[in-house]
Amino acid sequence: MNATAAIAGATFGEAVRKRVLMVILLAALVIILISPAFEPFAGRGQRTLVMSFGFGIIQLAGTFIAIILCTGLIPTEIERRTIYTILSKPVQRWQFVLGKLLGAIGTLAFIYAMMGLVFLLVTRLSLGAFEPQVIKGIVMFFFQSSLLASVTLFFSTFVSPLVNYFLSAGVFLMGNLMSTFLETIQRNPEVTPLTRIPVQILTIILPNFANFNIQNPIINPEQVLTDELAYFIQTIAYAIVYMALLLVGSILIFNQREM
Amino acid sequence: MGGYSIVSDVVIKTVKLTKRYSSWWGSQTVEAVKNLDLEVYRGEIFGFLGPNGAGKTTTIKVLLGILYPTSGEAYVLGKPAGDPETHHRLSYLPENPYFYEYMTGKEILTFYARLFGIPEPERSKRVNQLLDRVGLSRAANQPLRNYSKGMLQRIGLAQCLLNDPDLLILDEPTAGLDPIAHIDIRDLILELREQGKTLFISSHQLSDVEIVCDRVAILNRGELVRIGKLEELLSGGYVEMIAEKVSENVLEPIRQLGGRPSWHDGRLIVEQPDDGSIDRVIDLVRANGGHIISVKPYRRTLEDLFVETIQGGRKQ
Repeated sequence: MNATAAIAGATFGEAVRKRVLMVILLAALVIILISPAFEPFAGRGQRTLVMSFGFGIIQLAGTFIAIILCTGLIPTEIERRTIYTILSKPVQRWQFVLGKLLGAIGTLAFIYAMMGLVFLLVTRLSLGAFEPQVIKGIVMFFFQSSLLASVTLFFSTFVSPLVNYFLSAGVFLMGNLMSTFLETIQRNPEVTPLTRIPVQILTIILPNFANFNIQNPIINPEQVLTDELAYFIQTIAYAIVYMALLLVGSILIFNQREM
Repeated sequence: MGGYSIVSDVVIKTVKLTKRYSSWWGSQTVEAVKNLDLEVYRGEIFGFLGPNGAGKTTTIKVLLGILYPTSGEAYVLGKPAGDPETHHRLSYLPENPYFYEYMTGKEILTFYARLFGIPEPERSKRVNQLLDRVGLSRAANQPLRNYSKGMLQRIGLAQCLLNDPDLLILDEPTAGLDPIAHIDIRDLILELREQGKTLFISSHQLSDVEIVCDRVAILNRGELVRIGKLEELLSGGYVEMIAEKVSENVLEPIRQLGGRPSWHDGRLIVEQPDDGSIDRVIDLVRANGGHIISVKPYRRTLEDLFVETIQGGRKQ
């Protein structure tokens, strides 16, 4: 595991020095910090505004960072030939892919920790009390971004970074909308099985990103998750299993890849 | 692919190795390496030569397990190429090596030492020793983005030595270096041979190869066109003699001795095979009243051999 840890560490070290990622992080932090100032322009209460703004920005920044970070993880190593000195060492390809994913997840953890801290600080200062619920929301968004990172890393083993941007963004968008779409067409008796079945299949295959978004029950206390703990465990377990499957797929493809 | 028994000291062996690249839809195929049979022996410095696109880097990538052969076999240190077990005993320096620029010299060596699984405190000790050995102790804590090309090449060689390898595969180790760095790297290569390491060097720097290599192979368009000991491949030099006031009577006897006489500005120029017959030519010229101006041996160079092999004729 030493080699995997070394690769993960190098990936993290490089990622936190990427200007584009740090600019996104910085912009997100600034927007979260100044979000209470928008209260006069919003027609809602300050709590709703700060929470919606914070979660919205955190999810957006996390999504962008996950995609931008992971599209280049493997192609960049091949393009600049750093991969040759790594794979000529006693490092197996699965260790390389795993190290890259762990490094990306570590980077996301760091970024979410930064955004989470600032968000907690802003809620404390503007609302007068700590909102521990915020942490739950951020943890769920972190797993959402980690799952997206796995999707992007999977695509990066066989498509170019440019194609990967669109593919990953497309999967993220569909993964957010499919379950709602399926519910809608299931309620509509006029929808034929010819339409419903492909949607059902797609909903099963595509990662369900919507489940990680729990900002509504956090912002609106009247909306309650029936069994919160079970929901958290199931959703996080879903993310981990899905990520493990994507990792296996990535390794299988990367094992066959010639560089 | 199975292994092969190491009864001999064969460190690298390829048998009918072929590598084809195909386009995605398979309509276009490029044969980068064709039926390559190669053996590299323990303790030698082996020069792997060829023009650009000859298939050298492709062969190296197959030996490292980065590319898979289309057909044929490749073995390194007695195991099929790419076997991770052998990677503990070999090292590779790519052409124009690129490293994580944000790391310092010390950090990058520590990173590679971790990939080799070298534990602490041995890791730190070896990293410091190697930084010293390649003359980068003072720059150890500078980020690599501030390193010159020569310094990066030295770091590249240092990362090759971390595991004290039996086999080093070096792709253009002296390309683009200033003369001092060039000599340093060359001396380091010779030092490694003295330690009994096997070096497989792909290079366009033929003068370097001529100095350091024991055997060479020349690849052209993916095919092995020449292989052998350098001293054997470079045999067949000639001695040039220039004389004046020589009568034309000597021309025919010189030709009979294998020489190639010609006239230039009233002087006789003879290219005589380097087989000892030059003494008889000198005697002949003197006996015919000639005056010897100069006698100069010309050794066949690797560049001559290379050009002759690739272009099918001696360099003009």
